Amino acid sequence: MKKVILLTFIAILGVTLAGCNTAPKLRILNWGEYINDEVVAQFEEATGYNVVIDVADSNELFYSKIKSKTTAYDIVIPSDYMVEKMVEEDMLLPLDYDLLPNRDNVTYMAGVDQIYASMTATTLARTGETVDFTEYAVPYFWGTFGIIYNNRVTGLEASLEANGWATYFDATTYFPTARRGMYDVAQFAYAAALTYLGENPNDYSASLLTQAEDVIRAANFEEWGDDTLKRNVESDNLDMAFVYTGDYLDRLYIQLDEGKTLAEVQAEFNIYIPETALVFLDNMVIPYTASNIEGAHQFINFLLDPDVVALNSEVVGYATGLEEAYDIIVSNVTSDDPWRQAWATANLTYYNKDRAGTYIPMTALDPDAIDAINTMIESVISGS
Amino acid sequence: MIDKTNSYPVATLQEYGYKDYSKITPVINVLKKVLFFSILFMLYLSIIVIAIQSINASRISSSFSTVSFTWYPNIFQEEDLMRAIRNTFLVSSIATILATFMGTFFAVGMYSLTKKKRQGLMLLNNVPILNADIVTGFSLMLMFRLLMPLFPNIFGLFTLVMAHLFFTIPYVILSVMPKLKETDPNLMDAALDLGVRPYKALIKVVIPAIKAGIFSGMLLALTMSIDDFVISYFNTGGGFDNLSIWIYAVIGRRNLTPSVYAFSTLLTLFTLIGLMVYQFLQRQKKGKKSEIK
Amino acid sequence: MGKSFKILAIPYQVWLSLLVFIPLVAMVVISVTNLNSTVSLSELQFTMEHWVLLTQRPTLIAFRNSLMYAASTTIISFVLGYFLAYQIFRLRIKNKFIVLTIVILPMWSNLILRTEALLNIFSENNILKSIMGFSLFGNIAGTPAAVLIGLVFTYMPFMILPIYTALEKIDYALEEASLDLGLTPMQSFWKVVFPLSFRGVVTGSILVFLPTMAGFAIPKILSKGRIIFIGNIIDTKFIYTNYNSGALLAVILLIFILGSIMLMTRFDKEGETLL
Repeated sequence: MKKVILLTFIAILGVTLAGCNTAPKLRILNWGEYINDEVVAQFEEATGYNVVIDVADSNELFYSKIKSKTTAYDIVIPSDYMVEKMVEEDMLLPLDYDLLPNRDNVTYMAGVDQIYASMTATTLARTGETVDFTEYAVPYFWGTFGIIYNNRVTGLEASLEANGWATYFDATTYFPTARRGMYDVAQFAYAAALTYLGENPNDYSASLLTQAEDVIRAANFEEWGDDTLKRNVESDNLDMAFVYTGDYLDRLYIQLDEGKTLAEVQAEFNIYIPETALVFLDNMVIPYTASNIEGAHQFINFLLDPDVVALNSEVVGYATGLEEAYDIIVSNVTSDDPWRQAWATANLTYYNKDRAGTYIPMTALDPDAIDAINTMIESVISGS
Repeated sequence: MIDKTNSYPVATLQEYGYKDYSKITPVINVLKKVLFFSILFMLYLSIIVIAIQSINASRISSSFSTVSFTWYPNIFQEEDLMRAIRNTFLVSSIATILATFMGTFFAVGMYSLTKKKRQGLMLLNNVPILNADIVTGFSLMLMFRLLMPLFPNIFGLFTLVMAHLFFTIPYVILSVMPKLKETDPNLMDAALDLGVRPYKALIKVVIPAIKAGIFSGMLLALTMSIDDFVISYFNTGGGFDNLSIWIYAVIGRRNLTPSVYAFSTLLTLFTLIGLMVYQFLQRQKKGKKSEIK
Repeated sequence: MGKSFKILAIPYQVWLSLLVFIPLVAMVVISVTNLNSTVSLSELQFTMEHWVLLTQRPTLIAFRNSLMYAASTTIISFVLGYFLAYQIFRLRIKNKFIVLTIVILPMWSNLILRTEALLNIFSENNILKSIMGFSLFGNIAGTPAAVLIGLVFTYMPFMILPIYTALEKIDYALEEASLDLGLTPMQSFWKVVFPLSFRGVVTGSILVFLPTMAGFAIPKILSKGRIIFIGNIIDTKFIYTNYNSGALLAVILLIFILGSIMLMTRFDKEGETLL
């Protein structure tokens, strides 16, 4: 009996150790399921590196993992405001563009340039220093935030088109019985509320905090979650929610995989992107603890290839930062393959290059401001 | 002459306090069975739903389309998932084996202490079990951070195994101690009298006697280690994310692949089958013993 | 047992002292000073500024929620769990290993998966509804009832095992004697069996109360983010690296926990009923 158990354990150990690899490693810290496995496989084949990807679900966790130096990551993929914070605290290495030849063959989308400019402006206002963030970061995926809505509720779509944010926040005037949801990141709720009020979402003051609080209370949110929001709207358990536009496309791709057409899916649930939209940009950066700096640059270079980016976009429903990649994706509009056609049409509809309207990225706020906002949201949720 | 007309009333059983429950008893028995199975059903409900989700052809978790087993072989296609599973097994196996050995020997040591010392140590022993995960995880991380200047690459397999040992050894000790108390103290003396060295006697005499306790302890340690999330979350590094951490990260912002449900169901089934095999082997052993007699 | 084995316990004493006491001291220090990653040891200052957290309404409400749900879960768990433990005990299964496995089998599935599965069927449109046509639980997702059900049935195994262990240790002759002396089965249970199993009840209650009070994943998922527990607040503080406030709340939690351990040791000195 003992021998049986011992043998089983040894077998398990053997299997797990067999998975070990002795090729030089490239350590990446990424969001969960945020990269196409094929892209990773292609990169490993081309360079011979063994890519090890750790996952985390929030920018704050990225920050604490890099800050604590518990693992020497070579590449991290934080959002815009976290890149600002990391640069301010000297946690990133500047990129060596000599090792990124592909950069000369691509152009960033207009929205991406806008975001970088905005980041420079807010950093200037906050610290008095001018920072060019392209020295440290290369765009990975970006996108807008939108209001995903349950199209099975009559009149909801029309109301959103006509009234924008108001339909979502003003629960007394519009659809008082609709079930509303919000992301459980306090800063998102705060920024969304301020955008609705017409203020700059990156401003913080005590009076703005109270105004935002009133707005959020009035909205009467019945769910605070993350990916549950998009799934609940999809399954008719929720009517409106503030989500990443990419969240909608993720579910869209799954529905398309199961045989629905784009029109059918849109009839069930769709996403509305306000004219003044909050945006985000996820970047590839190299932290100061990196050990394989050459490999990191090779990886970034690999992801500056429009074909690779297009391949990545087949699995991740977020917007690509490269115009050339966008063109490749959208060219599939005329494709015979129904999935590709729907994929291209979706990108054309929701990530249109020539969209009119303003993009506002969120910025890194003061820790005290963040704490106050967190406490405010906790007050609203607990009803106090 | 007995006067039959002047009979005193005969006391009935009821007056003695006997309550006739014969009508209600069947109903109560049925209610008891219903309650029993309802509770069991509720305990197992979540894993039944997970099993249903694992054979759902659709990735949309709120609607069931058709029965499909594609998610099972798909487990091996998902690179991230496989890595998380491998890490979980690696860490949990190492931690469980070490915890079983160390826990057993620590328990023997503690049993030999004076009563007061032993009780004091048992009190401390309870702390990892009863303490909040988040506090344990955070405090262990603090300790390891203090050591980081000496050992820069400490975070990873080492810290994870240490952290798991911290909360699994107490379970082993708690399983083994009662069995130690139940063993006949004369066994040890007899062995020593027969000329066996103390440590050999320990291994050959005491350990077999407490085998059942060691086994329960090992099972408990493995269970606690496999599902741990919070403590591993704070103490991992270098690509050793285990399954719980991976699920938490993916379920937050992206779409969870149903292969995770398939894996979970498989794990449950294997444990169940393992138990039945163990039971079968035990019966066989008992059968052999009675044959010898 | 030979005295020569005492030496085996020494490494464990050292290990526990290091890993239990030192972090505790560190957390207390962090909670009453301004120590964090940007402040060096020479600038260390004693301060009570973090304690203002305890006067804020969300914190108080979170504490109240944690305590109330923990108490309710423990009581319901006790009633249902004792019943189940007793019924299993009466089945007189020879091998305790089977009982152990049946009870802890659900714990082999990831907690978050299990909780999400419950959330799934507690919602109005769920997977069972698409199969059966109706929702078994109506639409209780997000309500306190959902959180209670989730907590009770996740932690019930911890109530069942100690009670079962305690019941096993009761000498059947005692029960027989009481029946012979004229007690009905009901009375025999309440006057003889239950008091003797009380140690297991105390252990089980503590094993359910503490994780429920300190937990945050289950309430967050099942209440759809609407009900805040003290664990959620600590979690938020730690995520945003506000370690001082987080440590403060953790220390307060620890006081509760240590108090409960003391209570348990009064009833069960050697920790025998934990397993």
